[in-house]
Amino acid sequence: MRDSHILTTENLSLSYGSFRAVDKVNLRVRSRTVHSVIGPNGAGKTSLFHCLTGGRRPTGGRILFKGEEITNSSAHARVGSGMARSFQVTSLFQNLTVRENLRLAAQGRDGNGALVFWRSVNARKEHAALADGIMERLGLDGKAGVAAGDLSHGQQRLLEVGMALCGKPELLLLDEPTAGMGVNDIPMMTELIAGLGKEYSVMLIEHNMGIVMAVSDTITVMSRGGVLVEGKPEAVRADPRVREAYLGEVA
Amino acid sequence: MDANGQARAARHAPGGSGQGRDLFASLRSGPFGGPTPAVAVLLVLMPFALPSSTMATEILIFATATLACNLLLGYGGLLSFGQAIFFGSGAYLSSLTMMRLGAGLLPALLVAVVAGAVSAALVGALSVRRTGIYFVMMTLAFNQTAYFIAYTLSDWTGGDNGLLDVPRPPLALFGVTLADLSSATAYYVFTAVIFLLIFIAVRRVIASPFGSTLIAVRENEARALALGYDTRNFKIAAFAVSGAMTSLSGALYAMLLNFAPLENIQLSMSENIVIMTVIGGTGSLLGSLLGAGAWVIVSDMLAEIWPRWLILTGGALILIVLFLRGGLWGGVESLMRRFGGGVPYAADGASDAAGPPAQPVE
Repeated sequence: MRDSHILTTENLSLSYGSFRAVDKVNLRVRSRTVHSVIGPNGAGKTSLFHCLTGGRRPTGGRILFKGEEITNSSAHARVGSGMARSFQVTSLFQNLTVRENLRLAAQGRDGNGALVFWRSVNARKEHAALADGIMERLGLDGKAGVAAGDLSHGQQRLLEVGMALCGKPELLLLDEPTAGMGVNDIPMMTELIAGLGKEYSVMLIEHNMGIVMAVSDTITVMSRGGVLVEGKPEAVRADPRVREAYLGEVA
Repeated sequence: MDANGQARAARHAPGGSGQGRDLFASLRSGPFGGPTPAVAVLLVLMPFALPSSTMATEILIFATATLACNLLLGYGGLLSFGQAIFFGSGAYLSSLTMMRLGAGLLPALLVAVVAGAVSAALVGALSVRRTGIYFVMMTLAFNQTAYFIAYTLSDWTGGDNGLLDVPRPPLALFGVTLADLSSATAYYVFTAVIFLLIFIAVRRVIASPFGSTLIAVRENEARALALGYDTRNFKIAAFAVSGAMTSLSGALYAMLLNFAPLENIQLSMSENIVIMTVIGGTGSLLGSLLGAGAWVIVSDMLAEIWPRWLILTGGALILIVLFLRGGLWGGVESLMRRFGGGVPYAADGASDAAGPPAQPVE
């Protein structure tokens, strides 16, 4: 059973002074599933995400990825071991083409292997091939030569996720992939993420309840830094504690 | 293949998936393509167009240092005010290797290259631990330190008087003399060959995985980190490459003047190199040659007319930064776009290096 968990946290905590942003969180993300983390504003979702990506050092507990402890490893080292992330606020190479964005993302898995001065980038065909494949999957293949900054917002959000895919990850960490997306673009993202759950393991942080309920295999509801409820979408939807947490925010 | 798929494939072709197209594109944009032939022609014409071949040599020496600075600033987004450390130490170390150890030309240049790479890697390794203005201040502080070390070690550097009687040995390999460089013309040819080789090498470096990653770091360091790049290593490597080139140019300068003045390692030299880079246009290699050329020619002309000429160059710099953000090369590009309809070398090597002039974010 343990082997099927790609990511595990044990009593993971992150404190800012006396404030516990993440408070003894135990997560178990199963392989090839979509595991969503939701919760009202300030519940600690983003802090949890930062701990998982290596952006912040946890102040307590452990993070295990494929059974190996990665609690203190750096963000770029985690990519090498098979994690990739997307950003809540679109973070692309705005002046570079769509194709170059994806090629750089594919090349990133090499880490310091990219410290090659004398060979042309064209010598590594597999990076370009991977980039082209992802471009097609995202439906951006007609935009190969367009600067990322000139894409529509919805396309930029897709590219944001595509950049993470180019790292050939086993675990994808997606931070609010629909943030700022128009209503018309959301079905496309929903479809993409649902498909990703079959090939990769996906951990999703998301505000849009529609997408969370549609794509998730497991949902963890966070409140005040801790885990409030965890279960399948229908169970979470019906749970009175979840309603209370969200309503409490409004009241 | 269904109609949809065919349409997709057709749309795809301009991206360059066909073998023949790839070959053609690489010929055009490879290290020997693009602006390289134009540079070669310029190198041949320069000694005839300029008042002296010594001036042409001086331009190429500073153009080499400017290329090195451009690699950091234009491609890596790293504004270094420490370039004179490498320029000055290259001049001192190569001169001392020749004067104290009796070494020939090539070993002396090799010492400069290695020392430049090592010292730049050290300065880089410490400076890139900070970003933004703190990074710039670190390079500045290192420059001041290097200056005072050179000033203090006057037994070696000649201190305020500079290192006098620097030789210019003939070009020799394994004891066989290949060319006497004592005439100004011969030394120009030697410098021009070195410059052309460096120009080609830099184009190669920019189009490499390393160069493309450096551009990625300039564009968005947070994303580059998230993609798995340890961005510090790439910045340090950029410093090492830049330092080696700058140090080589310093060594060539000492041999040109037969003298290694203390000014070589002064902060003002770092400033001059940065100014030449900005005047020429950051992110454009041909711009580096233009920037160094404009600086050397204008300062030479103005210095004869008016001793306070630096005021004018300051004014020129302000105008360029305000109205010609791509530098001189950016101006040439927009003129060509307006009158000629096309820009011959829009991308300087890397697949996407044609972005707007880099802001010195680091």
